[in-house]
Amino acid sequence: MLRRIYLKRKYVIISIISVVSFLLIWQFICDYAKLFPSFVLPSPTKVLTTFIKKFTNKSPDGATLLQNLLASLEIALSGFALGAIIGVPLGIAMAWYKKVDLIAKPLFDLLRPIPPIAWIPIMILWLGIGTAAKASIIFVSSFIPCVVNSYSGIKQTNNVHLWVGKTFGATNFELLRKIAIPSALPYIFTGLRVSLGTSWVSLVAAEMLASTRGLGYMIQIGRVVARTDVIIVGMLTIGGVGALLAFILQQVENRYIKGK
Amino acid sequence: MKKLTLEVRQNFIVIEYAIIAILGFLGIWHIAVTFTSIGKLVPGPLQVLAYFFQSFVVPIGKNTIQEHALISLERVLIGYSVGVVLGIASGIGMAGSKLFEAIFKPLFEIIRPIPTIAWIPLAILWFGIGEMPKYFIIFYGAYANVTLNTYAAAKSVNPTLLGAARMLGMKEKDLLLHIVLPSSIPQIFAGMQSGLSASWMGVIAAEMVKSNNGIGWVIIMGQESANTVQILAGMVAIAVMGFLMASGMRILEGRLCSWNQKKI
Repeated sequence: MLRRIYLKRKYVIISIISVVSFLLIWQFICDYAKLFPSFVLPSPTKVLTTFIKKFTNKSPDGATLLQNLLASLEIALSGFALGAIIGVPLGIAMAWYKKVDLIAKPLFDLLRPIPPIAWIPIMILWLGIGTAAKASIIFVSSFIPCVVNSYSGIKQTNNVHLWVGKTFGATNFELLRKIAIPSALPYIFTGLRVSLGTSWVSLVAAEMLASTRGLGYMIQIGRVVARTDVIIVGMLTIGGVGALLAFILQQVENRYIKGK
Repeated sequence: MKKLTLEVRQNFIVIEYAIIAILGFLGIWHIAVTFTSIGKLVPGPLQVLAYFFQSFVVPIGKNTIQEHALISLERVLIGYSVGVVLGIASGIGMAGSKLFEAIFKPLFEIIRPIPTIAWIPLAILWFGIGEMPKYFIIFYGAYANVTLNTYAAAKSVNPTLLGAARMLGMKEKDLLLHIVLPSSIPQIFAGMQSGLSASWMGVIAAEMVKSNNGIGWVIIMGQESANTVQILAGMVAIAVMGFLMASGMRILEGRLCSWNQKKI
């Protein structure tokens, strides 16, 4: 027992040593060996100070880190909500009603292979570089996984459950509402999680190509003015917030989905 | 026999409705463009298709559209194959060796949540504007997904299989190659599928940000010259290629993992 605890600790210690030595080597390469100039690879301490300064400092992109983050979050979440509100019911309807399936599925399959970021140029041309274009791009990217997952979730409903429902005289709509949808909820949540991830990614792409604010814009400007420290701060923020959003949704899922 | 004919009839209905739906969609698009003011903003479907086929012989920029597509495809194949090979190796390595896992996993977990596209500015600063940043971005998209899936699969290998192999006298180092790797193949393929779409998205984004050829360049040039027809034709090409790549992967998976196909 003691030995097992020791073994467990041993690997945790190795992990900590690994991260610390990674940072130390990085610091050493930048500050002492000077293998790279700081616009190619800034040291970790430089990245950290830039991160702290960016909360108040507006250069080089004209907004603080928090302002950029809020701008990005606002658009990502509104596009995501729109995609979920339209995508989930459409997926359910496609799986449940034969006629909807026959009509909507071919059209959906036609649009599906287009990656969301390929919509960026056309949306910008149609809607300008404001919020509307970005929200539409995110709508497209979150809509697709929502439809796909709700569709397969409903299709996987256990037939025995449906037969029991029918035997007890449930109407078609009751079967959907009381049996099919509850049993498809884990799938629907997976769809939501995937689409939250893709929304966040496409938002970054959209902001890199056409925007005046947001995290994607910040790293793009960082590239233009060769401020690698700002780019790395932006990348870590994007990664961290993406992971945080996924975590929050996972918590909601664990809370509301029983009997997994 | 009777059941078969029923199935065939069902398939006919599906195809019939698909044709009706698609033709209806194109018809509404065409009518809307010809008879309303939307026509000023959106080109009609016939125009887009005509441009699409015309660009097989008339170059956009320096290359025809199939050359642009092949340039993008070549980039994807180079970065992707390196990413898949290294991804499988690191995934299996992390699952196989506790020490490697302890060293490598925390670093991987820090980098993993950063989306492929967010690497573009850094890749351009590091590797210039040639082919290298694109390879890097494609590589990353494949690597992150394949590593994650391989690792998860190799960690959850059926312990009965491992126990049986050990009991029959298999050496620990052979276990990895003969039990862990084969039984992880289905999930590795899932990782390769999502890696392929991440890579494909990454190359298009990279070409949109900085490039002078490739299919992503075609659509961003369309935006810059306000040429909607060119954008839509480029999107058609992207959709066709995305579809072909995903189906190719599915066929390959069907061949390699035929033992794992679920009977429906």
